Amino acid sequence: MHPHDVPVDRRTVLAAGTAGVAGVALVGLATDAEAAARYFRHGVASGDPMPTSVILWTRVTPTQAATPGSGNGPAATVTWQVATDAAFRRIVRQGTVTTTAARDHTVKLDATGLRPATDYHYRFLHRGVASPAGRVRTAPAADADVAGLRLGVASCANLQAGWFAAYRHLAARDDLDAVLHLGDYFYEYGPGQYGHGFTDLDVRTHQPPHETVTLADYRQRHAQYKSDPDLQALHARHPFIVTWDDHEVTNDQWAEGAENHQPGTEGDFAVRRAAAQRAYDEWMPVRMGPTTGLGDGTRLFRRLRFGRLAELSLLDLRSHRSGQVALGPGLPGVSDPARTITGRAQMEWLKSSLQDDRAVWKLVGNPVMIAPVVFPPLPADLARGINDVTGLLPEDGIPYNTDQWDGYTADRRELFRHLRDNGVQNTVFLTGDIHSGWACDLPVDAGTYPLSGSVGTELVCTSVTSNNLKDITGTPPRTTSVAVEAAIQTANRHVKYLNFDDHGFSVLDVTPERVQMDWFVVSSRRDRIAGAWRAASWQTRAGTQRVRPAAGGIV
Amino acid sequence: MCGRQESGVRGTALTRRGVLTAVSAGGASYLFSSALGAPARAKGRTRVYVLVVDGCRPGEVNRLLTPNLAALRDGGLDFPQAHSMPVMETIPNHVMMMTGVRPDRSGVPANAVYDGAEGNVRELDRPTDLRFPTVIERLGRAGYTTGTVLSKEYLHGIFGERATHRWEPAPVVPVSGHAPDLFTVQAAITMVERFDPDLLFVNLGDIDRLGHTDLTGTSLQLVRQTALLEADLQVGRFVGMLKRTGRWERSVLVVLADHSMDWSLPHAVVSLQPRLDAVPELAGKVVIADNGGADLLYWTGPAAERREAVARMREVALTHEGVLSVHSPAELRLGPEAGDLVVYCRAGWRFSDPTFVDNPIPGNHGHPVTRPIPLFIAGGSPLVRRGSSTLTARTVDVAPTVGAVFGLPAPRQGYDGRNLL
Repeated sequence: MHPHDVPVDRRTVLAAGTAGVAGVALVGLATDAEAAARYFRHGVASGDPMPTSVILWTRVTPTQAATPGSGNGPAATVTWQVATDAAFRRIVRQGTVTTTAARDHTVKLDATGLRPATDYHYRFLHRGVASPAGRVRTAPAADADVAGLRLGVASCANLQAGWFAAYRHLAARDDLDAVLHLGDYFYEYGPGQYGHGFTDLDVRTHQPPHETVTLADYRQRHAQYKSDPDLQALHARHPFIVTWDDHEVTNDQWAEGAENHQPGTEGDFAVRRAAAQRAYDEWMPVRMGPTTGLGDGTRLFRRLRFGRLAELSLLDLRSHRSGQVALGPGLPGVSDPARTITGRAQMEWLKSSLQDDRAVWKLVGNPVMIAPVVFPPLPADLARGINDVTGLLPEDGIPYNTDQWDGYTADRRELFRHLRDNGVQNTVFLTGDIHSGWACDLPVDAGTYPLSGSVGTELVCTSVTSNNLKDITGTPPRTTSVAVEAAIQTANRHVKYLNFDDHGFSVLDVTPERVQMDWFVVSSRRDRIAGAWRAASWQTRAGTQRVRPAAGGIV
Repeated sequence: MCGRQESGVRGTALTRRGVLTAVSAGGASYLFSSALGAPARAKGRTRVYVLVVDGCRPGEVNRLLTPNLAALRDGGLDFPQAHSMPVMETIPNHVMMMTGVRPDRSGVPANAVYDGAEGNVRELDRPTDLRFPTVIERLGRAGYTTGTVLSKEYLHGIFGERATHRWEPAPVVPVSGHAPDLFTVQAAITMVERFDPDLLFVNLGDIDRLGHTDLTGTSLQLVRQTALLEADLQVGRFVGMLKRTGRWERSVLVVLADHSMDWSLPHAVVSLQPRLDAVPELAGKVVIADNGGADLLYWTGPAAERREAVARMREVALTHEGVLSVHSPAELRLGPEAGDLVVYCRAGWRFSDPTFVDNPIPGNHGHPVTRPIPLFIAGGSPLVRRGSSTLTARTVDVAPTVGAVFGLPAPRQGYDGRNLL
């Protein structure tokens, strides 16, 4: 694909209102839904908003045979337009790109030359047919004194487990600057492997109808998710800022393998991961590597800035991590300094993100939980003493989930020590993965907390649909979960809020004074038109490094 | 405590350098010295009060523990990202507040430095140590009246007779070398009621001093909270006076800390002198000025060996557990007074040099963990905006802000800070 964008000067814009723009005939432009559905059946999307640019995405289906993953279909030329009005009378940027089956007929480009903190409308045109229009807001200028930033927050959307009502509710909001998706945007499983509740019922079934392994598989799975009307509506309404977790490739992946990868039957893991990541690059409105082009690398960790108010560092905690430690005799390995969850380059990059004075709030898009959740949390000095004698204990206590930062405590220790040593204020980790809602302080030493102090906070959103504790145990809400929540909070005093039962989404509101997350709960995953309500609100005030209950919702 | 205090002038006396005025208030006596020929009244309409809550941490300003400070912050313009500047010690940051320039221009990089001419480590507490004109004396030259109410003896020392009116701090606690906030604020109130200066610069030392002097460990939190409560109460008294006497509507209060505070356990001590002296080529040729969370290292050997020696000093420092980083003074804009190297310790550690027992106190600052501070601008003056700013505010920004209120031009070659209003 070769994007060729053309700035539109004022005279051209004026002309566009009457006679068309740069060779695109607006007179007789087919805008009806049926025609659009023929060519643009996977919707439109935007992502990674910056002060003067934003990524625009769509997929064109030039012929009936050009189905996702098929490799079929001719090259197709698509025009893109960015306007300041919904009727596209004031087009400010436009261009044409050509896409082919080699990239599954996806279209992804950087629309540049835009104004900071400005609302735009965008669309694509193919053979005179316009796509549905999308809306996007650019980020404020890097040095702007920004009064507020509001993000929708979501993670863990398993199509087989239910309907994406959470996405529909986020799409209905007009007050968001962007949607932060923290990973598990889709799942790799086949029908019957991972569905709704205790019995793994498939509310909907995955396409292709088997576990994704090949490039064609991953392309088809992306296409299926992007055919979901609720997800399409959300992509069209707000720009996405994404990072991936494991299921974008396969469960519990690490740098050289995964729990859900069997080399004997599924081939070389590196080949599978490359296929998954290529499909991700094709189908997601995200900048992988330095550009929006394919083949320029797979680096996903990156920063986005919202004036002087907030900087968001997105982490990739799958591509560079060491293999997980199994619970059992090998458990002390979780604190082995030779093991990593970030990799050295990403750790140094993250520390450089978390020490400067560019923004009041240092937000971290963090795919897996960083707050310690251990039984019991031992004072660090005591644990070291015991280990000197026995060598039996992880230094931070016994974790319940070694796929989180709890399984890589040397990296966490290095990061927390960096925050503390340098007096870094107002770091907030925004996390997904665990299908439950949490608000935590980040203790310097969980065993002596709160005396040892906190270096930041963590706010964890629940899953859009993926099963949580009550689903897995098959028990009614607020029964078994209550006891588990109480046990965790008793042993881990820095965990201030915990909800193992509900599904939904979060809204994050950032002002210079505080960061607040509202957790919204959907009434049912099996109900296509499920309602949603605010279940909890927690905030952290600047300078405190602690969470506290908010007096009310954001709005 | 918040009621109106009876006060009255007990007497005045002429000295060689000015006028001494003794004022009784609240059952105590307060001694002020004033410049000869000082203006009888303020020049402008707006008054600026810079209140330094010494050693306060940002998270400690809240509605439960410090309701008066929190009310000022919430009713004024808050800077949630505010910093002390290197070295995060009391004297250099008070100097930065009043000069608007970094230590490489003021000559004041730390509390303690090695004075090569005198051949010893000493505090920078002499008026001549400060080489750059402060906003205090620049306002004075422009016809404004100024006042200093500084609770710490060394601050009183370095700012000397720059202000039109100065409080002579008393009573001074022997161990800490500071006057309690109760007396400091009463002095500030008396200063305002008696002399009504255009600019008043106040240092409240209780929080910092009690953070330093508590050696018990277990009572640390309680002592700290008591100091915070007391400081807040006294700030409340001062604000109450401004409101009661009709001054609030023309007041601009700049409230900030000079640095934060960190605590170390008894074993978390970095003592570099023995390590340096154990290296033959360095032995006896390195002097350390201990600043709690920062050590300043000075090469006193032959100049020709300095380069290699400093490189070796850096190596030795970095091998010591508890050392965070090593910097050249130029990197931190500290100037030649800071010597050859600045060594920072990690959070939860402290320096104790030249020997392991020289610094027994757990509460220290000077290292990066003590950089965050509260900083907000309050008051009833229409100059004070409401809300929060995302600007990174620093101690060095105070002088430009104060100067701007009075229309004072920037000093020659400009400020290093900026106007926060």
